[in-house]
Amino acid sequence: MSRWGMVIDLDRCTACGACELACKSENNIATVSPEQADMDRTMSWMKVEVEVEGEFPNTTMRFYPRPCMQCDNPPCIRVCPVEATYINDEGIVGQIYPRCIGCRYCANACPYTVKYFNWYGPEWPESERQHLNPDVSVRPKGVIEKCTFCHHRLQKAREDARAEGRELREEDYQPACAETCPTGAIVFGDLDNPTHRVAELKEDPRSMRLLEDLGTEPKVYYLTSRQ
Amino acid sequence: MSQTRREFVWTMGAASAALALRGTTNGVFWTRQETLEAGWQPGIEKHLSSTCMICPARCGIRGRVVDGRLVRISGNRLHPMSRGGLCPRGIAGVQTLYHPQRITAPMVRTGPRDSGGWEEVSREEAISLLSERLGDLRASGRPEGLALLSGYCAGTMRDLWHQFMRAFGSPNYVADEYADGTDAIMEVMHGVRRRPGYDLERSGLVLSFGAPLFESWWSPLQAFVAYADPERTNRRRPRFVQVDTRFSRTAARSHEWVAVRPGTHAVLALGIAYVLVRDELYDAQFVTDHLAGFEDFTDEQGRLRPGYRSRVSSNYRTEEVSAITGVPVEQISSLARAFARGDPSVAVCGEDVMRAPNGLLAGLAVHSLNLLMGSVNRPGTVLFGEEPPLEPLVEPVLDFTASAGLARGPIAGSPLFGAGCPALPFAEQVAESGDDTIRALLLYYANPLASSARPEVWRNALEKVPFVVSFSPFMDETTRHADVILPDLLPYERWQDAPTPPSYPYPVWSLTQPLVEPYEGAIHTAEALLAIARNLGGSVAQSLPYEAFEPLLKARAQGLYAAQRGTLFGSEFEREHHRQMEQRGWWLPAHTNFEAFWRGLVERGGWTDLYYDDTDPAHLSAMPDGRIHLLPASLVDALQAGNRELYVHVAPPSTAAEAEEYPLELIPYRLSTLASGSLSLERWLAERPSVFPDVYWHPWVEVNPVTTKEMGLHDGDRAFVVSPNGRYEVRIKVSSGTAPRTVTAPYGLRHPGGEVASPLRLLDSLVDPLTGLQSWI
Amino acid sequence: MKPEVAAKLERMPPDERVLLRPLVETSRGFYVVAGLLGAVTLWGLFAYYLQVRYGLGRTGLNRPEYWGIYIICFVFFIGISHAGTLISAILRVSKAEWRRSITRSAELITVLVIGFGAIQPIIDLGRPDRLFNVLFNAQLRSPLLWDVISIGLYFTASSIYLYVPLIPDLARIRDSGIKAPRLYTFLAAGYRDTPAQQARLHKAIGILAIAVIPIAISVHTVIGWIFAMTLRPMWHSTIFGPYFVIGAIYSGIAAILVAMVILRRAYRLEDYFKPVHFDYLGRMLLVFSLLWFYFTFAEYLTVFYGAEPAEMRTFWAKVSGRYAVPFWTMVAGCFFIPFALMARRSTRSPPGVLVAGIAVMVGMWLERYNIVVPTSVNPIWEIESQGRYFPSWIELSIMAATFSGFILLYMVATKFVPIVSIWEIEEGRDESAEMAERVAGYLPDPYRKLLDFKAIGDE
Ligand SMILES: Nc1nc2c(c(=O)[nH]1)N[C@H]1C(S)=C(S)[C@@H](COP(=O)(O)OP(=O)(O)OC[C@H]3O[C@@H](n4cnc5c(=O)[nH]c(N)nc54)[C@H](O)[C@@H]3O)O[C@H]1N2
Ligand SMILES: Nc1nc2c(c(=O)[nH]1)N[C@H]1C(S)=C(S)[C@@H](COP(=O)(O)OP(=O)(O)OC[C@H]3O[C@@H](n4cnc5c(=O)[nH]c(N)nc54)[C@H](O)[C@@H]3O)O[C@H]1N2
Ligand code: SF4
Ligand code: SF4
Ligand code: SF4
Ligand code: SF4
Ligand code: SF4
Ligand SMILES: [Mo]
Repeated sequence: MSRWGMVIDLDRCTACGACELACKSENNIATVSPEQADMDRTMSWMKVEVEVEGEFPNTTMRFYPRPCMQCDNPPCIRVCPVEATYINDEGIVGQIYPRCIGCRYCANACPYTVKYFNWYGPEWPESERQHLNPDVSVRPKGVIEKCTFCHHRLQKAREDARAEGRELREEDYQPACAETCPTGAIVFGDLDNPTHRVAELKEDPRSMRLLEDLGTEPKVYYLTSRQ
Repeated sequence: MSQTRREFVWTMGAASAALALRGTTNGVFWTRQETLEAGWQPGIEKHLSSTCMICPARCGIRGRVVDGRLVRISGNRLHPMSRGGLCPRGIAGVQTLYHPQRITAPMVRTGPRDSGGWEEVSREEAISLLSERLGDLRASGRPEGLALLSGYCAGTMRDLWHQFMRAFGSPNYVADEYADGTDAIMEVMHGVRRRPGYDLERSGLVLSFGAPLFESWWSPLQAFVAYADPERTNRRRPRFVQVDTRFSRTAARSHEWVAVRPGTHAVLALGIAYVLVRDELYDAQFVTDHLAGFEDFTDEQGRLRPGYRSRVSSNYRTEEVSAITGVPVEQISSLARAFARGDPSVAVCGEDVMRAPNGLLAGLAVHSLNLLMGSVNRPGTVLFGEEPPLEPLVEPVLDFTASAGLARGPIAGSPLFGAGCPALPFAEQVAESGDDTIRALLLYYANPLASSARPEVWRNALEKVPFVVSFSPFMDETTRHADVILPDLLPYERWQDAPTPPSYPYPVWSLTQPLVEPYEGAIHTAEALLAIARNLGGSVAQSLPYEAFEPLLKARAQGLYAAQRGTLFGSEFEREHHRQMEQRGWWLPAHTNFEAFWRGLVERGGWTDLYYDDTDPAHLSAMPDGRIHLLPASLVDALQAGNRELYVHVAPPSTAAEAEEYPLELIPYRLSTLASGSLSLERWLAERPSVFPDVYWHPWVEVNPVTTKEMGLHDGDRAFVVSPNGRYEVRIKVSSGTAPRTVTAPYGLRHPGGEVASPLRLLDSLVDPLTGLQSWI
Repeated sequence: MKPEVAAKLERMPPDERVLLRPLVETSRGFYVVAGLLGAVTLWGLFAYYLQVRYGLGRTGLNRPEYWGIYIICFVFFIGISHAGTLISAILRVSKAEWRRSITRSAELITVLVIGFGAIQPIIDLGRPDRLFNVLFNAQLRSPLLWDVISIGLYFTASSIYLYVPLIPDLARIRDSGIKAPRLYTFLAAGYRDTPAQQARLHKAIGILAIAVIPIAISVHTVIGWIFAMTLRPMWHSTIFGPYFVIGAIYSGIAAILVAMVILRRAYRLEDYFKPVHFDYLGRMLLVFSLLWFYFTFAEYLTVFYGAEPAEMRTFWAKVSGRYAVPFWTMVAGCFFIPFALMARRSTRSPPGVLVAGIAVMVGMWLERYNIVVPTSVNPIWEIESQGRYFPSWIELSIMAATFSGFILLYMVATKFVPIVSIWEIEEGRDESAEMAERVAGYLPDPYRKLLDFKAIGDE
C-alpha cells in the first residue's frame, strides 16, 4: 500500500508562488472579489507563507509553501460530525463536498489552518468557466475545501496504468504544484517506496515537519538548513 | 495495553468509522468518476508543446486542451532553459486567453477617439483599409511618416517588422526591446554589440547588482534553474549574492543580501575592485593577456594617464566606499574575497544600474569585476551567445521611395551609445512637431498610455497622428485611442518562433503553435503584415514574398536542419549527451528528412545547441587590438567633452531643498507576477501579487515600520504617494524589507476598477546622455 | 378581563388568585414590550433569510476566524439553561424548602433557552439544508455529535422535567374555568390530584431531578470538549469540561435572579420572591463567582506558567493585547462586581442582584467571546497571519433576535402557566409543620452521641 507524501526543499524554493497558481488552475479554486479578499476569505490550497524577522538591513524572510499536511493522524477528520473529511488507506485526507454541512469544526481543528470555506457560492465568470479543469468538481457554497494531493490525478494515473497493463510509476502521479515548481523544490511520491525520491529525502538531516510535537504525523516534510 | 489520550479517542472512533464507511464510498467526490457514471463522455484531450510569450524568458509550456479549450498550462520538461518550470504568470496565461477585455473582431472607429464607438468590420475590409492608407503614404513620397511602436519582440516576428519597415521606407521603428544597456557595455569594452549571456548554471558565485534575478530580469526561470538544480543532478549550485536597495524576494532567497543606498551600486562594485587590486586577488594572467587600460599609460599627447588600477586604488578606498554605499567595510572585503574565490564568479548588471544618468559608466564598473577575474568566455561566466542558425529572410528590396525615407533618419535620433529610437523622445518629438511628421502609427505589443512614465506626452503625440492602428488583442488604453484595430491572436492561438533572451548563453529556438482555435475575427499580426505587403505590391511585396507565417517559420527551420549542430529539445540525459558529443566534435543527424525534423520540433517544442566553444578568442574581443578595454577610447573621448572621467565617483546633486517637503525616497520595482503594466492583472494574480499574504487587488507601497511609526501610519491604511509630479492612492504595507525613509512601490498595478496606479509617473525621468536610456520609459 | 373570570379569580385561595392572575390579565406594557421584541425577532429572521440565501459570507467570519457570534451564543445560551434544570434539580434533591417558589421560573428558562441555544450551531452551518446528514452519516468520534446527542437528551429531559411538575397546576387551571379548557385538559393528562397520582408525581419528579443532573453536567462538559478536543492554544485544556459547567451554572443563577427581579416587579410577586430568596441565591452567586475565579485563575496561570509560545500569543492577546477590553470587562463582570455586591448582605437585595446578575450575564457572554475569538484568530502555526473579526449586522441582528425571541417566548409562557408553582407552594405550607420536625432531626442528639461513643469503646 502506498503512503503518498511530499518533501519541500526550502533551500531551493524561491517563493515564486508558481505552486499556488498551479494548484488554483488544476483544482478550480475560485477567486473571490476584492471586498471578500479584504475580509480574509481568499482561497489557496497551497500557500507560500512568509515569516519576516529582524530590522532593516538585517531582515530575514523565510518562506514555507504550505499545502495540507496530509497528516497520518489528522485531527481534522476526527471532529467532523458527518465524516465529510476522511483519510483513505493510502493516507490521503480527502473531502466529500456533497456531504459537508459546513460546520467548520475541521477547520478549527486543523493546526495548520489549511482549510478554506466557501463563504459564498464561488463565482465563475464566463471567462473563467472556459478554463475549468473538467477532472475536478467545483465546490458549492457553504462547504470546506482543501488540498487533496491532487487525488484525481492518482485516479487517472491508475486508470492509465491499468489500461496499459503496468505498475504505477513515480512520475505517473505528480500533483500540479510539484509538477510546476520551477526549482524542483517540491518532490512527491510514495514515502514507503524506497525507489521514490521522497523516501530518501525525508531521511535527509535537514528534514523536519511542521509542529511535529503535536503528533499529527504530517506527510509533508520540509528540508531546511536554517534552524 | 496502554493508551495515550489521543489514541483513545482514535480507537473509540474506529467503530463509528466502520459505520460510516458505506457513506464514504457513496459520496466520492472525484468528478471524473461521477461524470462517467452520469453517462458523460470524457472530453477529447490533447497535450501540445508551445512557448510562453508573456515575458522575454520564453519558457517552454505544455498546453492541456480538453474539447478545444485550454484548461491548463504546465511546463515543458524538455525545454533546455525552463526545464518544466513556470512562473505564476505563465500558469495564469489561460486567463489572458479568455480575458474579458479581448477583442474578437477587427474594428473601425466611429465616434471621436476614446469614445468607445466602434464598428466591426471583416478582416479583409480592415486589411484593405490599412493597405490603402499606407499605400497613400508611400505614394506621397513620405514613407517615414509611418512609425511602429513595438514592445518586446524577438525572432521572426521582429525580423518581419524590420523587413517591412525597411522595405516601406521608414526608419521610425520604435522598439522597447527591454533596452537594458548591457549591449552598450559590451560594445565599448569588447567591440561586440551583443548583450552578454550569463552562464549562471555553471557559475560558483553570482553577484547581482540590482538585477532582480528571481523576479523579473530577462529570465527568472534561467536563474531558478541555476539556483536550485531542479533535476537534482547534484551539480554544484552557485552562491547568489544580491546587491539591492530593498529586501526583494531575490535578496531574501539569495545566500547573501548586501543592502546598498539607492544609486550606489557602481561605487560598491569599484570598492570590491579596490580590494581585488589591493590584495592582488584578481586574475593577473588574464589581465595581462587580455585587458587594455589596467595599468597607467601615456596618451597620444604623451601625458601619463592613470589606468584602471590607479583610479580604483585612489578613488575607492573601502572606508570611502562604505561611507557612500552604507555597506560595512568588512562586508566589502569579504565580498571581494568571495568573488575572487568564486571559481568562477560572475557579476550581473541589472537594468536599474544602467537606467540612471551615469548608467553606462556604472555598468562598466560592474562588468570590470568580471574582467578582473577573467570571468568571460569561460564556463560559468559571461558568454557571448549566438543566434540560432535560421534561414535568413530574403534581402529587402529598397526602391527609391524607401531609400529616400530611410535616409531621412529616425525623428528621435539615437544617442552615442544607444541603439534605435527610444520611445519617450520619439513621443516628445511627435507631440512637439507639426501634424504631418508621423501620419500613421502602428502599435504592436505596446500600450504607452498605461505604461509610459509620461502618458500625457503620449496622449499629445497620439493627437498629432491622424491614423493610429492597434494590433492589440485587448481593449487597452492606447487601443481605445486607435482608429483601426486589427486584433492579434494570442500566443496560444498562433504560430510563432521564440528565441530565448540573450541572458541565456546558448541559442534556443522555441515555437508556439495554435493550441486552440482562434476567435473568428482575430488575425495573426504577421499574416496581416504579409497581406498588407502583398497589397502594397512592388518592392514591399518583393521583400516579403511569403504566403503565410507558418510556412515561413518552417522554411527558416531549414537552416537549423542544415546546420549540422544542435538538437531538438530533449531530456536532461539527451542534453548532456549531446553537449559532450559536440565538445568532441561529433554530431549525428537524428532525422532522416526535414519533415520528420519539423514534426519533432513541433512536438518537443524547439531546437537548441548547448555546446559553447570557449576556445574561440573571437568571443573575447572584436577590438582591432584583440583586447578588452577597461578604458575604452570612444567613451573616454565622449566623457572628456563633459569634463568627466571614468571610474571617478560623482555624488548626485543634493536634493536637500525638496527633502523638506518630500521626506521619503521612492524606489519602484517590478513585481514578478506582472507582465509589464498594460493589462489588468489576471484575477489569479490580482489576488496574489506578492509575497505578502495580506496584500491583494489594491495597489500598495511598502514602508519601514520605523517610518510608519513616525508618520502614524498602520498596515493596511490608505494613503497617497505624492511627488512634485503627481500622486496616486495606495495601501500601506509595513515591511522591514524596506529601508527607513524610503518607500518601495511595485509598479504595473491597477486599482480594482482598472485605473493605472503607477509610481513611475511620480519620478523625474532622468536620462543617461550616453545611452539615451531613460530612468523610466 | 371578563367579569365572570374576575369573579372566579376573586373566589380563589390567595396563592391561586395571585399566581393565576397573569394568565388572564395582561397589561398594555406587556403588549408594547412584546411588540418590540416581536419586531426585533422578525428582523433577525429576515437577517437569517439573507444569510441562508446568500451564504455565510454575510457574516463577519473568515479564515481563520471560522466561528463567531453564533458559537458564542450557543455556549452562552446552553450555559444559561443550567439555570433551571440543574439548579432546581439540585435544590429539589437536597430538599431545600426555599426552592418552591423559584423552580418553575428557572425550569422555564431552561427549556426555552436550550431551544434557542441549540439552533445557534444550525444557524452557523454553511449548509443548513444538510443538517440531517448529522443523523444519516453520524461520525461518533466528533464531539459535535456528542453534543447533538447530549443536547437532544437534555432538551428532552428538561422538557419533561418542566412538564411533570406543571401537571397539578395545569389540572387546577383546567378546573378553575378561567381559561379555555381544551389545551389544559390535554396537557393535564387526566390528573385529578388523587393520592396515587400524587405519589406517582413525586416519584417521577424525584427520579427526574436526579437524572437531569448528570445530563445537564454532561451537556456543558461536552460543549467545553468541543473546544478542548482541538489542539488550539487555550482551547486544548483538560479543565474545560468542569470550567464550562460551573460557568454555566453561574450564568444560570444570574439569569434566574434577573428573571425573578423582573417577574416580581411585573406580576407583583413580592410575596413569593422574598428577600430570603435573593439572599440565598445571592449567596450561591457569590460562591460561584469565587469558583469561577478559581477556575479562571487556574486556567490562566497554567497557561502562563507553561509559557508555550503559541499559548502565550493567545494569552497576551487577551490579557494585554487586542482583547484586553473584553477580557477585563469579563473579569469585572464575572468576578469583581458580583463578588463585591454579593459579599454584603445589604446588596443581596433585588436591585443588588439585578446589577450583579446582569454583570455576570454580560461577563459570561464575554467569557465565551474570549474563548472563541482570541484563539480562533491566533493560528497555532505562528507563521500564519493573525486573523481579525468584526461581526456583521446580520450576526448581530440574529443575536438580538435570539435574545428577544427568548424573552418574548418566556413572556408569553407566563400567560399560559403560573410562573410560580402553585401546588408546590401549597404543599410547602402543608409541610412546614413536618419541616420543623425534620429540622430537629438534623440537630445533634447529645444522648445518642454518648451512646455511640460507648458502643465504639465496647468493641
Ligand atoms: N505601470 C507600468 N509601467 C511600465 C512598466 C511596468 O511594468 N508597469 N514597465 C516599463 C517597461 S520596462 C516597459 S518595457 C514598458 C512596456 O510597456 P509596453 O510597451 O506598453 O508593453 P506592455 O505593457 O507589455 O503592453 C503590451 C500590450 O500589448 C498588447 N498585447 C498583449 N498580448 C499581445 C499579443 O499577443 N499580440 C499583440 N499584438 N499585442 C499584445 C496588450 O494590449 C498590452 O497592453 O512599460 C514601462 N512602463
Ligand atoms: N515579471 C516580469 N518580468 C519581466 C517583465 C515583466 O513585465 N514582468 N518585463 C521585462 C522587461 S520589458 C524589462 S524592461 C525587464 C526589467 O527588468 P528589471 O531590470 O529587473 O527591472 P525591475 O524589475 O523594474 O527592477 C527594478 C529593481 O531596481 C531596484 N532599484 C530601484 N531603484 C533603484 C536605484 O535607484 N538604483 C538601482 N541600482 N536599483 C534600483 C529595485 O529595487 C528593483 O529591484 O523585465 C523583463 N522581465
Ligand atoms: S513553486 Fe516551488 S519555488 Fe516556487 S514558491 Fe512554490 S515551492 Fe517555492
Ligand atoms: S465543515 Fe464539513 S468537513 Fe468540516 S467538520 Fe464540518 S461537516 Fe465535516
Ligand atoms: S493539515 Fe489539517 S486538514 Fe490536513 S490532514 Fe492535517 S489536520 Fe487535516
Ligand atoms: S498537491 Fe495538488 S491540491 Fe495539494 S497543493 Fe499541490 S496542487 Fe494543490
Ligand atoms: S518567466 Fe516569463 S516566459 Fe517564463 S513562464 Fe513566466 S512569464 Fe512565461
Ligand atoms: Mo522593459
